[in-house]
Amino acid sequence: MAYSEKVVDHYNNPRNVGSFTKDTPGVGTGLVGAPECGDVMKLQIKVNLETGVIEDARFKTFGCGSAIASSSLATEWLKGKTVDEAAKIKNTDIVNELKLPPVKIHCSVLAEDAIKAALADYKEKQAPQTAGAASQ
Amino acid sequence: MSDFFEVFGLERRLAIDVAALQRRFYELSRRWHPDFHQAAAPAEQARALEESARVNAAYRALRDPLARVEYLIRLEEGRATREGAVVKPKAPPALLAEMFEIQEALEARGDSLDDGTRATLTVQRDALRARMAEAEAQIAGPLSRAWDAAAAADRPAALAALKDALATRAYLRTVIDDLANALGEGTEETHVANRRD
Repeated sequence: MAYSEKVVDHYNNPRNVGSFTKDTPGVGTGLVGAPECGDVMKLQIKVNLETGVIEDARFKTFGCGSAIASSSLATEWLKGKTVDEAAKIKNTDIVNELKLPPVKIHCSVLAEDAIKAALADYKEKQAPQTAGAASQ
Repeated sequence: MSDFFEVFGLERRLAIDVAALQRRFYELSRRWHPDFHQAAAPAEQARALEESARVNAAYRALRDPLARVEYLIRLEEGRATREGAVVKPKAPPALLAEMFEIQEALEARGDSLDDGTRATLTVQRDALRARMAEAEAQIAGPLSRAWDAAAAADRPAALAALKDALATRAYLRTVIDDLANALGEGTEETHVANRRD
């Protein structure tokens, strides 16, 4: 299968590979999989707790070139966005940017799922603290 | 167009008499074999070719119990390919985490494996293979029977259970393949071919 130039670029030079410590305040972790092919993807965000802006993002994906490129691109887009802005990233944005063929659309869906899971994990971690602050 | 069950005059059920299916396949193959239609009009020759291809595709989809389940899911969801599942299957989150950790550890080991590492990976791979065999037995056995037995209202739940089990199998298979690759062995025979492409 012929990959687009952008996919090849992300595959050869993946951005933001790695991980944060899960328990660090402000870190949200999403671990998702694509049952179509068995790929697994971990995507993490580090949110500035003062501003609500995503300061940094990391990913690690065991999968095909399109899955790696989709998650690599996702981490690039996440940086500098607020949590609410990040929630608006759609898999179709990734499809368009990377020119993914129809058989690889599930890779972009996986990346969107990973973003959503990371945001949900971040929010869940914030929730008890908010509740604690309110009761003080 | 008729679905693959209808090609063989079968109801949409997962329990299939494979010996009877094979006999019917041979009959239909003979009936539509292009060699027997050489003297026919071009339109009929084309039809024979088309039917012949369809019979082959239907037989491939139905003879294997797991391929049969995959086909049934596509049929029930009204889609032609593995893309675009209506409801995403869910594998247990713990399984995902476990598969991720194995992949991470495998990556960290690099390319040259000493004997001890090879032995460890072999044990790990064999244990995963046993779990995959168990998942396959569940799909082809109890879960398939449950779908056949389900009333119309219960079929979506039975189908979802089949999808979840297939997802579990896919995750296990991928890691087994990657372990086998690391050990320098061939990969499992798979219709998820060229996954890394």
